[in-house]
Amino acid sequence: MFEQLDALKPALKKLVEALRKEYAYASVLASVSDERSWSISRAGSAIRTGGLARDGGFVVRVFDQTGCGEYSFNRFSEGMIPEICRKIHEDLTAAAEGLRAGITPMPTRMPSDEPACLKKEAVCRIHPRELGDEAILAKLTKIRSKGLETEGILDVACHVSYKDYRKIFISENRDLDQRVIWTTAAVMAMARREQEIKDSYKGFSCLGGAELLDQVESGLPGVLQRTLELLNSEPMIPGEYDCICDPETTGMIVHEAFGHGVEMDMFVKDRALARSCMNGVVASPLVTMHDGSAVDEVATFLFDDEGTLSGDTVIIDKGILKRGMCDALSAARLGTEPTGNGRRESFERKAYTRMTNTYFEGGSDSLEDMMASISYGFLLENPSSGMEDPKNWGIQCMVNIAREIRDGKLTGRIFSPIVLTGYVPDLLKSVSMMGPDIRLGGGGFCGKGHKEWVKVSDGGPYMKARIRLG
Amino acid sequence: MINRIIDAIKTVSPAAWRIEKREEETAELFFVKKQLDTRRSKDVTFYTVTLFRRGEEEKMGFTSIVLPPEIAWDELKTRLAEAYYAASFAMNPGYAMPDPVRDNVEAAQTPLMQDPLNKTASRMTAALFEKDTHPQAFLNSAELFVERKKTRIVSSEGTDVSWSSARIKGEFVAQCREPEDVEIYQDFSYDSLRPEALSSLVEETLRFAADRARAQKILKTGSYDLILTGDNIGEILDLYTARSSARMIYPGYSRWKTGEAVQSALEGFEPLNISLTASEPFSSEGIRMTDRPLLENGVLKTIHGSNAFCRYLGTEPTGEYRSLCCGNEGTRSFEELKQAPCLWAVTFSDFQMDPMSGYLGGEMRLAYLIEADGTITPVTGGSVSASLLEKQNQLLFSKERYESESYKGPYAVRIPGVSVAGE
Repeated sequence: MFEQLDALKPALKKLVEALRKEYAYASVLASVSDERSWSISRAGSAIRTGGLARDGGFVVRVFDQTGCGEYSFNRFSEGMIPEICRKIHEDLTAAAEGLRAGITPMPTRMPSDEPACLKKEAVCRIHPRELGDEAILAKLTKIRSKGLETEGILDVACHVSYKDYRKIFISENRDLDQRVIWTTAAVMAMARREQEIKDSYKGFSCLGGAELLDQVESGLPGVLQRTLELLNSEPMIPGEYDCICDPETTGMIVHEAFGHGVEMDMFVKDRALARSCMNGVVASPLVTMHDGSAVDEVATFLFDDEGTLSGDTVIIDKGILKRGMCDALSAARLGTEPTGNGRRESFERKAYTRMTNTYFEGGSDSLEDMMASISYGFLLENPSSGMEDPKNWGIQCMVNIAREIRDGKLTGRIFSPIVLTGYVPDLLKSVSMMGPDIRLGGGGFCGKGHKEWVKVSDGGPYMKARIRLG
Repeated sequence: MINRIIDAIKTVSPAAWRIEKREEETAELFFVKKQLDTRRSKDVTFYTVTLFRRGEEEKMGFTSIVLPPEIAWDELKTRLAEAYYAASFAMNPGYAMPDPVRDNVEAAQTPLMQDPLNKTASRMTAALFEKDTHPQAFLNSAELFVERKKTRIVSSEGTDVSWSSARIKGEFVAQCREPEDVEIYQDFSYDSLRPEALSSLVEETLRFAADRARAQKILKTGSYDLILTGDNIGEILDLYTARSSARMIYPGYSRWKTGEAVQSALEGFEPLNISLTASEPFSSEGIRMTDRPLLENGVLKTIHGSNAFCRYLGTEPTGEYRSLCCGNEGTRSFEELKQAPCLWAVTFSDFQMDPMSGYLGGEMRLAYLIEADGTITPVTGGSVSASLLEKQNQLLFSKERYESESYKGPYAVRIPGVSVAGE
């Protein structure tokens, strides 16, 4: 499957050459992927191929007098080059000519096309295909059966998926080729309280393969305990409290509350408050935030979907906002450098500025010291969802569990569900303690607004802050 | 290509098979204010092949694979053989395949189906910006997609159905800079050329953005009668679609049964009448989809879902639905429904209904606080949270109607005593 790109590569180069005769810039991204998932629950067992996006095809980007244009397709051979060039010309011309009066092209400097050549293949210890369907489902079945032995548990659902992908980016001066594999897993337990179903989960992820499965069983006891605890949960009394965020909740705050606000395509649109806060204090001096491929997680790659090499971007340095993340088009418009964050849901979609692996650095405070410092507050666990608000930096994050802390100790009272609200800089400036160890998780996908799902990871250490809960 | 796939399928001899061919083409425009950011077009074809395998004790497994339009014969056979082998490890209780259907549904000869995609995109662009004339608020950015799809499903049981569909969809952000710099996100989706609907939506959203700009963060924490409007009603009523689905009933997550009351109304309130609306002529399994009653006066009439789960429950497979219609005609006008005091939540950052827990919730971007003395104040911030299962017997609907692709029904609903986390 992956070798087919080798056979097509000379023809892809000829396609770029042909397009360059008409356009000032031309590039093509070719992608092919092998995706598979296994799941088991009361609904049955399932093996599925393909993920959220159908990711096997090509996207061409060109620049003409009107600006940037793209064409996505999944039939290609050398013989089709004239037909593809004609289709691109016709579509872009028709789109430009059909614009009503008053709509003008957006001035955009052509993306930099500095020479680069790279070919690299990520390795994994155990490829899920080698382990095989039977062994993977047997492992999940064993975990599920063990979970179902616990009294009061309605169901235990287990899920594993991987994506092994290869991408080639070719422009006049660039020839980039990467192959990457990530694997994720999750265990979810459910219990009934009258008409309500309470549930809790634990996610696992890695840049690699089926070696991840060794961790999954260890997450089961915690999931079962939390699920049963939720049966006795109480509604939260709204208010502002001292809180300790577990690394997953810290990750959600990093990603949802702050990360989306420093995606620089939002700067181009004047949709991000962060643009006016550059080099200003946006967080406590304890907060340093990164995005990029300095860590090995599900969103680690060598180059993005616009052919920009990835790196490590320091977004916040000791509380000072230093820079945002940027795709190539936005960088050209803003007069800055791209950071390797131009990502597409698949070859069928536009590239936007997207996060990759986003996290807070660790500090020096132990969890015990954090607990001891709180007279009344909550330990927040098990984030479920969040929504960005880059324009106004409003927080909307949901967590499944708030454990009551009184006089430095957990009381055993559980509150659920919990909504985190408030103003992002207020929360980040209130950070008063950071744990030493960071943990990243990449079990989920991130949307831009309400679509454009890409794989990301986020995380950080245990973190103490003042947060408004509802 | 379909015949090649069928020939290749014969080499693995599955118990049953299904092929879905989908051709998609789009014209896409991306705007930043009144400037064209990017033009895109797409032309793709995919084949999804599902192979079913019989196991011991009448069990059955299946696997689906997605194939590109051009694939070498040997690779095609290899991938089908791998999929068929994988199916042997995902064995579940057996079931009958969907009843065969043969039909070619001719698409209506509408401008959206016939005109070049870029011509439609051009017309909708004009509609998008036509009402971008508000004195304070304006369109910050927008995305417009015109897409056409042709789908054909064939199966080993004799199903051969095909149909075409077209859709205009997208999103825009309305911004107002004074007195506070704010924005409101809005998406849209139409299955016919409706430029006037898009213009009206832009006009209304710009008005809301201007109101949000002067909205105050004064909402106190407490309990409010909550008014929801438009698609937010469809979102909460999705609780009933989800809990009546065979996907939730078969594993025991939902205990609903047809003929039983799943919702009741206190005196003076309204029992629910909801129907499922077919948005495509056939499901992805080739099941013919029709509009069906879901709740009549709060009594569950239909369990719906995919072939396997419906067969397990011994009910007719219906296909999976994505839109609903609420038939409640309402007893009050919207003005009466908004009788003070109450809180009309217009837009949320992300409004969600969790069908497992029954809780609805979201952070409000714009709401109108209607106080006992008749004062109406735009407010922002604060999160609502409530169990619909606890509130469902006290719902009041407006007489005014609303229609979108995913929800048709009353324009507004009033839910009493909803918890709000405010300032």
